[in-house]
Amino acid sequence: MNFKLVRRMAMRDIRSGEMGLLLVALIVAVGTVTSISLFVDRLHQALLQESANFLAADRQISSSREIPEEFKQAAAALGLETADTLSFPSMIFAGDNNQLVSVKAVSNNYPLRGELIVSDEPFERGYPIADTPRSGEVWLDSRLFPALGVKLGDIVEVGRAQLVVGRVLVSEPDRGGSFFDLGPRLLMNIDNVPSTQVVQPGSRLSYRLLLRGEEAPLEELKNSLTLKPNYRWVSIRESSPRIGSALDRAESFLLLGGLLGVLLAGIAVALSAHRYAARHYDHVGVLKTLGATPSQILTGFLSILLLVGAMAIAGGLAAGGLLHLIIVELLSSFIPVALPAPGLRPFALGTATGLICALSFAMPAFIHLKEVSPMRVIRRDLGVPPASQWLSYGAAVAGSVFLLVWYSNSLFLTFWTLVGAVGVVLVFGSLAYGLLRSGRVVGMQARSGWRLALSGLQRRSRENTAQILIFGMAIMLLLVLVLLRTALITEWRSQVPEQAANHFVMNIASDEVDAVQELIDTQATAGDFLYPMIRGRVVAVNGQDAKEYQDALTDRSFEGGTRLMSERNLTWIEEMPKDNQVVSGEWWSEGSSKPEVSLEQEYAEDFNLQIGDALTFDIGGQSVVAEVTSIRTLEWESMSPNFFIIFSPGALQDLPATYMTSFYLEPSKKVFLNTLLSNHPTITVIEIDALIEQVKSIIDRVTQAVELVLGLVLASGCLVLVASIQASRDARMAEHALVRTLGGTRRLIGGSLAAEFMVLGAFAGVVAVVGAEITVAVLQSQVFELSMQLHPWVWPVGPLVGAFIIVIVGLLGSRALVNSPPMLVLRGLN
Amino acid sequence: MSSTVVSGKGVEKVVDTAAGKLVILDGIDLEINEGETVAIVGASGSGKTTLLGILAGLDSATGGSVQLAGEELTCLDEEARALVRGEHVGFVFQSFQLLASLTALENVMLPAELRGESLAETQAVALLEKVGLGDRLGHYPRQLSGGEQQRVAIARAFASNPSVLFADEPTGNLDTHTGERIIELLFELNREFGTTLVMVTHDNRLAERCGRIIAIEAGHIQRTETA
Repeated sequence: MNFKLVRRMAMRDIRSGEMGLLLVALIVAVGTVTSISLFVDRLHQALLQESANFLAADRQISSSREIPEEFKQAAAALGLETADTLSFPSMIFAGDNNQLVSVKAVSNNYPLRGELIVSDEPFERGYPIADTPRSGEVWLDSRLFPALGVKLGDIVEVGRAQLVVGRVLVSEPDRGGSFFDLGPRLLMNIDNVPSTQVVQPGSRLSYRLLLRGEEAPLEELKNSLTLKPNYRWVSIRESSPRIGSALDRAESFLLLGGLLGVLLAGIAVALSAHRYAARHYDHVGVLKTLGATPSQILTGFLSILLLVGAMAIAGGLAAGGLLHLIIVELLSSFIPVALPAPGLRPFALGTATGLICALSFAMPAFIHLKEVSPMRVIRRDLGVPPASQWLSYGAAVAGSVFLLVWYSNSLFLTFWTLVGAVGVVLVFGSLAYGLLRSGRVVGMQARSGWRLALSGLQRRSRENTAQILIFGMAIMLLLVLVLLRTALITEWRSQVPEQAANHFVMNIASDEVDAVQELIDTQATAGDFLYPMIRGRVVAVNGQDAKEYQDALTDRSFEGGTRLMSERNLTWIEEMPKDNQVVSGEWWSEGSSKPEVSLEQEYAEDFNLQIGDALTFDIGGQSVVAEVTSIRTLEWESMSPNFFIIFSPGALQDLPATYMTSFYLEPSKKVFLNTLLSNHPTITVIEIDALIEQVKSIIDRVTQAVELVLGLVLASGCLVLVASIQASRDARMAEHALVRTLGGTRRLIGGSLAAEFMVLGAFAGVVAVVGAEITVAVLQSQVFELSMQLHPWVWPVGPLVGAFIIVIVGLLGSRALVNSPPMLVLRGLN
Repeated sequence: MSSTVVSGKGVEKVVDTAAGKLVILDGIDLEINEGETVAIVGASGSGKTTLLGILAGLDSATGGSVQLAGEELTCLDEEARALVRGEHVGFVFQSFQLLASLTALENVMLPAELRGESLAETQAVALLEKVGLGDRLGHYPRQLSGGEQQRVAIARAFASNPSVLFADEPTGNLDTHTGERIIELLFELNREFGTTLVMVTHDNRLAERCGRIIAIEAGHIQRTETA
């Protein structure tokens, strides 16, 4: 067949609607992948960019020691931008007033990502500025102005240096919620640090080298530097594990969602291709009688498929591009960051998906056309030899596996998805077939719609089993996504609950606790903990002097590093704080009256401390000996206080401690902090509201992306339902048209169809619910690392919704045929 | 002396059914000469349609030999049989068998297009004018009456300038009057093109117009009558 003939036949098939569903299914497959990849690609970049704001860079190297010059040279050699920061707590003075602040000294090109926000007056709304404190200048948090009684242009003393108050600092990108940062922020130029003379051996210092650049050189730098234990490579995933894991899970979900969307569209492609082929058997018979050879039929119809595939790909790419633009526009108010321009990759992915769908899902049906016997033109009763099962299923499975591996990049996920699919087909196929075959019905049973439907279901039990499986799979995939989405979003939201404490108060004297709590209750919502805190340091390990003990450790050089005998915050509590996990030993032994102590894992490892070691502490001049009974891990970035050293209850309770608590304050009531601080000038307030807002906004955006994918996959699912009903329509209609010619009313036929679809839908719902529960349980535990849970509410909902949807879609799809005169129906089918 | 264009020797067709082997044709011998008009008649299930299919190369015999236009069909696979059909055979069917998605003109152009001939359109227009449908070139089958559809089918059958025209109940779906006009047209074109006509029919009057009548019963030739 020449190209002109092929094109004419393809165009006529498209125009007459014969090719419509196949074309739409291919367009949906290509469009889904293109729009999801485009959106995810851009959103992912934007999220990474915004997440990078948490670091004020793409990566950081952090240490308690100075960053070696060679690191900076290596970064520069790779074309990476660098900036330095140094943070430490210090007491600053202004006249007679003093305040403990968290100093951050920065180089001139800070920050590399994100913005510094400043304002002209304390407590005013800020604006971004592309500048840093000049030499001799400091920028102060709003709260420091009333606390120190200063205004812009006044002098404050930081150590030995006298510096001018230049601006009001509202926020900097990498403020974080670390309890390293005690007290409000003071931002200064790193060149002024030597003149302050506050940086001494043993000072609590945090040096950071900020890095910015492309992924490849960043990875190269990471691999080329051999970081000693004291230097830590920090990316968003390590720095903020919650956001990191939210991003990871969202990525997995989006990929899985996109993949399921494509697989559903693939099923729709296969169904509509088979229907197209079945409706062209006569067509091929005629062509063969006119001299078309089987190879001409093969090349001709494959050319038609390729032509339609090419049109679908073009349409799908355009639709995907357009859809993604609409989504970006709709979400523009939620996405303040400019989305980076999309690359070509999403379009390449869309094109490849279209080709794979056409080849693996539609081609077997088209290849089968060459088998049609030309005798069919004079013997209509002559069947067509069945399509090769190996070819049809083999191609579909090969295509699905390829797409699964390609999208998920995970053999594990691919393997389990396939095992699940095969299991569902075998178990539920036999179950559905058995149920449909149970009980014998003789004749058409055309007395009532319900009986007519049941007899029809039994007579076509094989086809109906296949249809239940297809409906069931489609509904199952949709349920899987809905359940996962709900689990993920619930999990994310639970990390930052509404009204989570966004301020921490420290240094509350024991006689102030009640007054502070009362004041907080008037304006804010008090948090759920109150920790006692006391400063103390380790002076001996198992009776050996701490300095000697530390010097004896050979694998560490302590110059400038963390010291065992540094003063630290200590606490004592009954219950282990959440997010802490004992990795060795046991949390407080019952009934023991001897002081016990629990250590953070890295701290214990750094100083080679073991369970059973006896530590002697100097706490306000008193000596306390405690035995190490447990070693814990904790999440440093969790928004709760974390302690290296926790004492058993009662061990320190006679000592003069201060307390720490938390509260939630609405943004509009920020000025309450001044009241609190002026009434209780010795307390320290740590604000983490900005950080919480950042986390919330990222999670909201990820959630929106997830909802979007769900919407697209729902569209694919509906397409499968329509395709499946269309595919079985001819056989069903032939019977019903016959019943109508013999006197069956439209009502009888309508009722029978509704009943048939209802039974199919309800069976499919049962298949879907069981399949979805199993799949979700595996995915939750193995892929998303969430806890497994059943969802009893979907058990009745699945069959009901299945029946409802299938009845609606089925009746809409059959409407024209029910309403047409039976002669037309029969003639159309012939 | 005219040469043989279709011949069958000991043609058998046996199919496997659930109840065992079913013999449809049992050793049919016949020869049809160039330019002859032959009617194959018989009751339903006698095997006449199967015989037509085998003689035309649409189906293969399970025994015996069949020659069409000098080609031994039993030695050929479907690919080669299709080429023989395309070159030598035209068909007219009871149910017209026009492609619904193509216009009258495109349906008639189809055989020549399948052979890759470039003058397909001119030839097809001439044929449609000859069958009286010069003003219906762009109409789709559904826009034509049964008689008109069969005329398009006849024009298509002659478009490949066939040596043999096989017709399967060509008037079976038409009323008497239209059927007669279609038969007139078919015989007229058959004479004009000098084609051999092999027709399966129930209609005795139609069969009597042919030069020879072959009656089939239970897979055997029961009798042969020459006009």
